[in-house]
Amino acid sequence: MTHALRRHAEHQFVEELQALARADSKPRPPNWKLSPWAVATYLLGGSLDDGTEITPKYIGERRLIEVAIATLATDRALLLLGVPGTAKTWVAEHLAAAISGDSTLLVQGTAGTSEESLRYGWNYAELLAKGPSLKALVPSPMMRAMQEGRLARVEELTRIPADVQDSLITLLSEKTLPIPELGAEVQAQRGFNVIATANNRDRGVNELSSALKRRFNTVILPVPDSLEEEVRIVQQRVEQLGRALGLPAEPPALEEIRRVVIVFRELRAGVTADGKTKLKSPSATLSTAEAIGVMNQGLSLAAHFGDGTLRAADVASGLVGAVIKDPVQDRVVWKEYLETVVKERDGWKDFYRACRQAD
Amino acid sequence: MDPSPLSIFGIRHHGPGSARSLRHALETLEPDCLLIEGPPDAADVLPLAVHANLRPPVALLIYDPEKPQRSAFYPFAVFSPEWQALQYGLGRKIPVRFMDLPQAVQVGLAAEAETLAEARRVDDPPDPPSPSGPPDPQEDPVADRPDFEPPLSRDPLSHLARAAGYSDSERWWEHTVEHRRDGADVFAAVLEAMTALREAAVSSGLKSVEPERERHREAHMRQVIREVRKEGFGRIAVVCGAWHAPALAKMPPAREDAALLRGLPRRKVVATWIPWTYGRLALASGYGAGIESPGWYDFLWALDARQAHGAGTASDGDRVATHWLTRVARLLRGEDLDASSAGVIEAVRLAEALAALRGRPLPGLPELNEATQTVLCFGDPLSLRVIGEKLIVSERLGEVPEETPAVPLARELAREQKSLRLSPDAVARQLDLDLRKPNDLGRSRLLHRLNLLGVPWGRAVRQRGSQKGTFHELWNLQWHPEFAVGLIEAGLWGNTLPGAAGAKVRQDSESTPDLPTLTALLDATLLADLPDAAGHLMTRLQTVAAVASDVVHLMGALPRLADILRYGNVRNTDARVVGELVHGLVTRICIGLPGACGSLNDEAAEALFAKCLEAHAAIGLLQHPDHTSAWNGVLRQLADSPGLHGLIAGRACRLLHEVRELDTSAAARRLGLALSTANAPAQAAAWVDGFLRNSGLVLLHDEALWAVLDDWIVGLTPEHFTSALPLLRRTFSTFQAAERRQMGGRVAGGMKRGPMWVGLPDGFDVERADRALPLLAQLLGLKG
Repeated sequence: MTHALRRHAEHQFVEELQALARADSKPRPPNWKLSPWAVATYLLGGSLDDGTEITPKYIGERRLIEVAIATLATDRALLLLGVPGTAKTWVAEHLAAAISGDSTLLVQGTAGTSEESLRYGWNYAELLAKGPSLKALVPSPMMRAMQEGRLARVEELTRIPADVQDSLITLLSEKTLPIPELGAEVQAQRGFNVIATANNRDRGVNELSSALKRRFNTVILPVPDSLEEEVRIVQQRVEQLGRALGLPAEPPALEEIRRVVIVFRELRAGVTADGKTKLKSPSATLSTAEAIGVMNQGLSLAAHFGDGTLRAADVASGLVGAVIKDPVQDRVVWKEYLETVVKERDGWKDFYRACRQAD
Repeated sequence: MDPSPLSIFGIRHHGPGSARSLRHALETLEPDCLLIEGPPDAADVLPLAVHANLRPPVALLIYDPEKPQRSAFYPFAVFSPEWQALQYGLGRKIPVRFMDLPQAVQVGLAAEAETLAEARRVDDPPDPPSPSGPPDPQEDPVADRPDFEPPLSRDPLSHLARAAGYSDSERWWEHTVEHRRDGADVFAAVLEAMTALREAAVSSGLKSVEPERERHREAHMRQVIREVRKEGFGRIAVVCGAWHAPALAKMPPAREDAALLRGLPRRKVVATWIPWTYGRLALASGYGAGIESPGWYDFLWALDARQAHGAGTASDGDRVATHWLTRVARLLRGEDLDASSAGVIEAVRLAEALAALRGRPLPGLPELNEATQTVLCFGDPLSLRVIGEKLIVSERLGEVPEETPAVPLARELAREQKSLRLSPDAVARQLDLDLRKPNDLGRSRLLHRLNLLGVPWGRAVRQRGSQKGTFHELWNLQWHPEFAVGLIEAGLWGNTLPGAAGAKVRQDSESTPDLPTLTALLDATLLADLPDAAGHLMTRLQTVAAVASDVVHLMGALPRLADILRYGNVRNTDARVVGELVHGLVTRICIGLPGACGSLNDEAAEALFAKCLEAHAAIGLLQHPDHTSAWNGVLRQLADSPGLHGLIAGRACRLLHEVRELDTSAAARRLGLALSTANAPAQAAAWVDGFLRNSGLVLLHDEALWAVLDDWIVGLTPEHFTSALPLLRRTFSTFQAAERRQMGGRVAGGMKRGPMWVGLPDGFDVERADRALPLLAQLLGLKG
């Protein structure tokens, strides 16, 4: 058995995938391992007739997952958008695992991603020795996906330079990859498709051209729906991370987590939790992941400089830092929020004072 | 088919599929008499339904002429089965009758309940513990929904839907009935299903909780059917809500029904047609039997009508998805969003794939919406809202012909005109109202309300510098005939002038995003004396103020609200709500103002200068210590911030000095600092302008300030002086001539220290003046 720190989805959930394949009698699109219905069940969870429990991989709106799967079935590429920490990569990986049985055909988008990683590169020793040939060609994950009729994933599409992004256009519309050096081309086999993820907060990095945008169906993954759900996610992650970092502080009181999550949710939504007061929203993302960061920072403050118990003051500095990203605009937003909402809330006096001081 | 002369068609109100099947069924059956679930009181205006100028959506309005609030609306869209039945029947000239329990009786029952409730309140007065009070039948005198379903089944179909594996009964009905295109025997199936449901309801004991009103209604429908059969019609078609169908199919002995209906109270009611909108037909507007997507239904209906005329050959699914998404794309293009034909093609494909994934034969509205969002809107749900408003609900407004009987609103207006002695006249004339007189106050209120309703009979004339005070209002009155149409349209909003005006204000406030417009609307609402709507506006203002980023707008809204709060001149405005609103405004202004004052050009500084003065006055008026201290803090911040436009900084300093936050020496120090040579002359002069504008007296009476200004001018180089002179002159020219003269005298007279004296004119009788002093002291409260 492997000792990898993190196993691929198709290995981790191999039993579930097999059970689904057995139970799946619905028609499958060419080269799909499962039918769209079974893929949806794999992602959203459920129980099969033979008693196998499928764990939910994505907790959220069913509708979104259905749209994503239907998109892949129509041979249009799928673009998952969302703020950081909304499970885009997670969903993409599981979709690839369920549909192609392989989530490893991955191109990580960075500012330095070159055209080779989307098309093909050369084995230069071979190239110099024998000249251009198929043997000297080093296929990219994208090219392999085309040849084998599988799903390829592109992470952080908007971080890839615009000229490299453009090489995707032919690929997606013509479904072929020309190799001019050999006078040949690779034609995509049925079952090939692309799932890309991108962060819709930093769209500006390398905004998709409208030509490329048109080749994708876009699904926006939202932040967690309910307060309780988000508190649970934060609590779980903070505890896990706290253990991993070996912080001596006590696990944070649920009350502190709730407060931070409430602040995050209210500012993000631009309305108070009771839905009565409208608020301005800061420019910061305020994702669940950041709430986790704030809690961790508070914990480490409490552990190393406090008495080991997390208090409002420990959280406040991290919180202010997370909210105020733009020193002018966000400060106004934050102060308004403090003065009009936090100040008057019952039992938040210590929190209000701590935030005033941290500011 | 049915051996009896009776065919019962159980439909869903406003279901296009039901309407289509019904139309087919009627054409096959060719009945000689048509009974429709609807108010028999409307028999007189029924023929108008086929009038060329009557265009759905329209509603039958039935109301009690003595108390128009007691009313019921029966809306009809072109795709309503009842409407199609009406059109069929009236078109073929066969007898068409409404058979529901008459509104006369329902209004009568409501009136009776009201009297009872009143009596109960008299019997038992010392019992108002809960704020909501006892359950009050007056709340809902006549549910304005013709098809109020019994409680078993607020949603009877949900049981069937659940059995079929749908979570939502609407959707189930849609798929099993509305989307059927063959229409064969759908009604027999519906009848059977409903019979089973009702039987299940009886056996589970739910039937007993069915309200009496429902039993009355069904009894009355059966009585009408009996009557018609007695008249000898051979093929009777009965169109009713699906839920009622079984109750009409199986006739209990006539005696029972007669007994049930005996002795029900009746009141006189009047019926008329009024224009309706799809928006009000939609569920979102709170109309109980509403439908989510009238625009979508209208589209489906129109598509079918076109097919009936032989256009188009493609299969159904393609047609619906393609036509709908093309319309969506055109709308998006109209809104300046990209929507290419290629995108439409992809969206159609995605909608079909989704439908297949969900096991539906055809893409429905949810699939089409998701496809639109994913393909055409690039995942953005905001653009979808436009589609929701414009296409799915649609903004269509119906029309009614001129011969339609007058709406209650027009009647009420006539009554008001009579009692206020204010007759409509096509010749323009001016009217001067003295608001202290009750009659004039009533007139003003009426005119303001009409204005809000879009019937501008009177136009208020702004009087500048009027000597008459705030209790006078000047109006230009002129009556135009088209106002009658306006009144009919306004009938949509309600049956009484205050009710309709209030509802209209609410609607307007929802669609008005900016603060100044809202404040103006609030002003008009307060003048029209609509406390409820005003309360709603306040809440709305609060919401908008919270997200408003323009401090100038916030400051513009403040003075009027401060007036309301301070003087309460407004009738019955809830001071607490205004207080909260003002508090929020002041807090936001105080936080946002320093930021808003950065990098201003002269023009912007002038505008902000005026707003600051207004806000200062308003906050002074409020006399609230929190507000004052927060505002003074902001002024201090402004006075201290180095990069600020001189005009604002100078005035901030001056205002602080005025409220004694800065003593004279501190103010003088600031003036000196601002006028020191380190500052550009233009900046310094702007500062002086802000500091001194309209206030020569401060200068005349404050020695320290005078000295600082004097020193500054003396110390200027000739070039500096020349560049500063225009600005200085602009400031000084705003002073009263007398003030300037005194200043000039002072400068010419050299540096005379000590307080200024106003010289006594020649022949001043000191003795006589002294005699007035005790009385003055008493007036000023200086002596007991």
